[in-house]
Amino acid sequence: MRRLIALLMAAVLALGLTACGGEEETAEQVTVRYGLSNAWDSLMPYNSPSGSNYTRIICDKIYDRLAYVHADGTLDPRGAKSWESTEDGLAVVFHLDEKAAFHDGTPVTAQHWADTIALITNPDCPALGRGTFSVLAGTDSNGCAVEGEQLGAEAVDEHTLKLTFKSPTTPEDFLLDKNRELYVLPTHLLTDTAPAQIMDLDLWDAPVGSGPCKFVEELPGSQLVLEVNQNYQLGSPDFDQLVITVMDKSNLLSSLIAGDLDYYAFGGNVSVEDAETARAAGLEVVEGEVPNTFYELMLNCETIPSAQVRRAIDLALDKEALCLQSTRGLGEPTATDVTPGTEYTCALTWSRDVEGARRLLEQGGYDGQTYTLACTSNRSGLAALMQQELAEVDMNVTIETVDSAALFSGMADGKYDMAIASHTPGALPLWFTESRLSESNNIFHITDLEPYTYYIDQIKAASGWETRQVLLDKLQELLADERPFIPLWFGRTLHVQSPTVDHIDYPSSSFSNENIWAWRMKAA
Amino acid sequence: MGCYIRRRLLTAIPVFFGITILVFCMLNLAQGSILDLMGEGSGATDADRAALAASLGLDQSLPQRYLAWLGDLLQGDLGTSYANGRPVAYLIAQRVGPSLLLTGTGVVLAVAIALPLGVMAAWKPRSGWDRTASALSLVSFGVPGFFLCLAGIFLFSVTLGWLPANGMYSAGRFTGLGDLIRHLILPAGVVCLSSVGELVKQTRTACLEVMGEDYIRTAWAKGLTDRAVMVRHAFRGALIPVLTTILSHIPHIIGGSVVVEQVFGWPGMGSLLFSGISSRDYAVVMGVTVIIALTVLLTNLLLDLIYGIADPRVRYGKG
Amino acid sequence: MACLLILSLELLAVFLLPPMLGLAPNVSDLEAGFWAPPSAEHPLGTDDVGRDLLARLLSGGQVSLLIGLSSAAISVAVGVPLGLLAGYRRGAWEFWIMRLADIFQTFPSIVLVLCLVTLTGASVLNLVLVLGLLGWTGIARLVYGNTLAVRDREYVVAARALGARTGTILRRNVLPNVISPVWCSIPLRAGRAILSESSLSFLGFGIRAPQASWGSMIQYASNLTVLTGRPWVWLPPGLCIILTVLCLAGIGDGLRDALDPRYYAGRVAR
Repeated sequence: MRRLIALLMAAVLALGLTACGGEEETAEQVTVRYGLSNAWDSLMPYNSPSGSNYTRIICDKIYDRLAYVHADGTLDPRGAKSWESTEDGLAVVFHLDEKAAFHDGTPVTAQHWADTIALITNPDCPALGRGTFSVLAGTDSNGCAVEGEQLGAEAVDEHTLKLTFKSPTTPEDFLLDKNRELYVLPTHLLTDTAPAQIMDLDLWDAPVGSGPCKFVEELPGSQLVLEVNQNYQLGSPDFDQLVITVMDKSNLLSSLIAGDLDYYAFGGNVSVEDAETARAAGLEVVEGEVPNTFYELMLNCETIPSAQVRRAIDLALDKEALCLQSTRGLGEPTATDVTPGTEYTCALTWSRDVEGARRLLEQGGYDGQTYTLACTSNRSGLAALMQQELAEVDMNVTIETVDSAALFSGMADGKYDMAIASHTPGALPLWFTESRLSESNNIFHITDLEPYTYYIDQIKAASGWETRQVLLDKLQELLADERPFIPLWFGRTLHVQSPTVDHIDYPSSSFSNENIWAWRMKAA
Repeated sequence: MGCYIRRRLLTAIPVFFGITILVFCMLNLAQGSILDLMGEGSGATDADRAALAASLGLDQSLPQRYLAWLGDLLQGDLGTSYANGRPVAYLIAQRVGPSLLLTGTGVVLAVAIALPLGVMAAWKPRSGWDRTASALSLVSFGVPGFFLCLAGIFLFSVTLGWLPANGMYSAGRFTGLGDLIRHLILPAGVVCLSSVGELVKQTRTACLEVMGEDYIRTAWAKGLTDRAVMVRHAFRGALIPVLTTILSHIPHIIGGSVVVEQVFGWPGMGSLLFSGISSRDYAVVMGVTVIIALTVLLTNLLLDLIYGIADPRVRYGKG
Repeated sequence: MACLLILSLELLAVFLLPPMLGLAPNVSDLEAGFWAPPSAEHPLGTDDVGRDLLARLLSGGQVSLLIGLSSAAISVAVGVPLGLLAGYRRGAWEFWIMRLADIFQTFPSIVLVLCLVTLTGASVLNLVLVLGLLGWTGIARLVYGNTLAVRDREYVVAARALGARTGTILRRNVLPNVISPVWCSIPLRAGRAILSESSLSFLGFGIRAPQASWGSMIQYASNLTVLTGRPWVWLPPGLCIILTVLCLAGIGDGLRDALDPRYYAGRVAR
């Protein structure tokens, strides 16, 4: 009997060990260990159901994009060396880097870019997230190519790509908005596959891209091993391997302190309190200079139909306290979605007025109804604070804690009456409003979008800062009257510096890109 | 014997179908679905959603979907993950090894501690051994697993800096046994600690019961030493009930390791289940729960068969 | 006995202290600030929203104890009749009820609870129902085994021969003879339910904000700064859980000693 047990135990151990053992490492490789709090879903960038930043930041490593976007909105060359508008402003010409090549050695040409866009906009191809391309000429509002029309993506010559838009667009506006969703695929490996079958290819299990890192192996949902692409056109870092590990959010900082990680996304961000802990552990913490989070309270204008009630919610909230709770002093409450520090401004101010809110609620005919406030679990404290503030004006709110995908879909379905959300602010005057105040993504359930789209179209068409600013002020006044969403604050982030890796551009990771080609190991 | 095996297998069949129906219903009656995931920012359109729904078979009726799912399951096809398009069977296969290693180590450790301690506690009641055994079962029963995890991280990882608190390897892949063991100690320790109490208790009870049996009295009467009686007779007699406890504890141990895997970022089935639940990837959740339940079912079946072989009374007794 | 005393004190404290002291678990004290350390005004400090942690500890205790005790009650209410039926009627009843128990027992409870709670949505009521309905199998098996032993005893046969109805026999003759082990297992079930609830809340799938439970309060400790620098936040709820569960286990043991003379005699004889 004893022997039997011993045998059984030995078998269990052996099974476990062989199953996770795998190959032994031979050469001494320099590895950078990279932490991520949520898993990516697909390694095919146009097949990601979540379309989350976690997938984007991973695809950013394997695939190449046209440009590199800095946190302050400035652009650097990446897949394209330079770009300019055509004279009519309807098209942008990109001059691609001749040195760019896929991981299998094939040079990247303008044809690859054009073919990628043609493939993804092909209605037969089951691509997700093709809405990105709806700005291009020859597509419908879903981003599908319209038959018989010329698609606005063509290869002029081997290294010149021309994108044509439906309305005049500057290259800066286009890249700030779309760069993070525009990748070049190895279309030379896809020629034998019908567009409908593209997503079933084994290629996406071990993808070939032209980005700064090459795929090595993946444990879906848990770990991704990448190798540095020594031939990347912008150079390569001085380590060999990048190992990306998914871990619980709460473990990121402790693993960095313990030396089990070299860096974690996004930009090693920490709360003010954890920054103290990090400093105490000998890590350097740097404050971001530009605001990189924008918090808003989304409202459902269908279930909260009265603009007075929506304005009353705005007045009832103590944005100062909410901002303090969330950012611990690293944020500025705001009355608008226009990003501070950009060339556009907004004169509106906010103040808390409980009495005013009560009056407005009465005028708006609020009947004591209970509203549902959705938030993600890490913001339940914030939601609880809001609940208390709204209770002061006798408004009843219940809190629903959900994950962020369910939050947005619940908002879109009209399941929730309000929801707390945060976004990466952009430098453009319409960075927030344009996509949300549109038919295809009417997340605030506004009955009549006409007044908004009128200004939005005018602002887009306007040339020159001054006209745009005047129109923007009018749009903001309209928003203040109608209050389909409540701007809360703009926040900055603290970045824990990697103890081992230098030259990381921490803030830019909020645009889902990282300058990994420039990273250098610190001298030991 | 053949008759007994047949009867036992026959009762397992309705249980098997029950498990599949339960899992299927539970997850399909859920309001949310994968389509929810295509939220704002994903750029998905209604057309995208409809296409995905059709490709996932979400436009068919429930019984149709159940039969299709069951048919695939019987062929070893657990479906495709909604989130990353991989076969669920492949995702699970990657996680089985780490899970087995973690729970295996935890159980082996627990048994290695529980058997001697339980025997000693039965042998010398109210001694230091007995008190240690009771203390251990108290900790094991009363302290929630996640609290043990936190305590372990606080003590060994943060304060002392001896052990890593996350993952399985430090360099992303197997680089040596030492590295793996360092990562294994904390989670396996928690798994061990949260099941050891019950095992000690059962060993002790089983030994005590056996010690009242006639053949032990005979052994004493023969003039055997304490040690010989304990090891050769009492312990052996108690082994079967102890083994039963271990095996019947398996669902509990697997359940406990779900939490442990999540807290320690161990890439096993538990963390797979967890990420499936939080991203509403029901194909993965269904796959993992069914596999876990079937494992338990098979273990129970195996246990009963071994029992039937070892003890003829079982074969003819109860159904 | 000590266990019973501690648990009663705990129940009294949790249910009577908040109204007596006028504690408000869901109101922020913005003057005290967020994460204030313990002070005279807030003996256990405040949490991330400036709510008094003592008040939350007590109201969290209400939730945890309520969930534990009422889900145990549900388990008994479901498990006892099913066990009786299976053991007394035998045949198809026995087969299907026991197979149902088999099905439920093949799932590790936390897995099933996790799935069900995510599906039904987190609220105290749902938690009680899910934990209660999943806990019936153990109790049903206990009752079933004992009923099997009792059903052919002379007094049951006699009652049957006298023409008593099944319901009457079960209630008058069988139930009193099989119920005592159930009493002992109720505190254990309640303890298990409290542990399950706290695990769920710790993992973020438990009760709904702004409500507190002991498990959700320990969740703060998964943050490094709280774990290392603010033990007053997570230690009290942790100790409360441990103390409660151990007391419940102790009460279970005590009940067994009192109700099962054989066991007690065995212990003394040894």
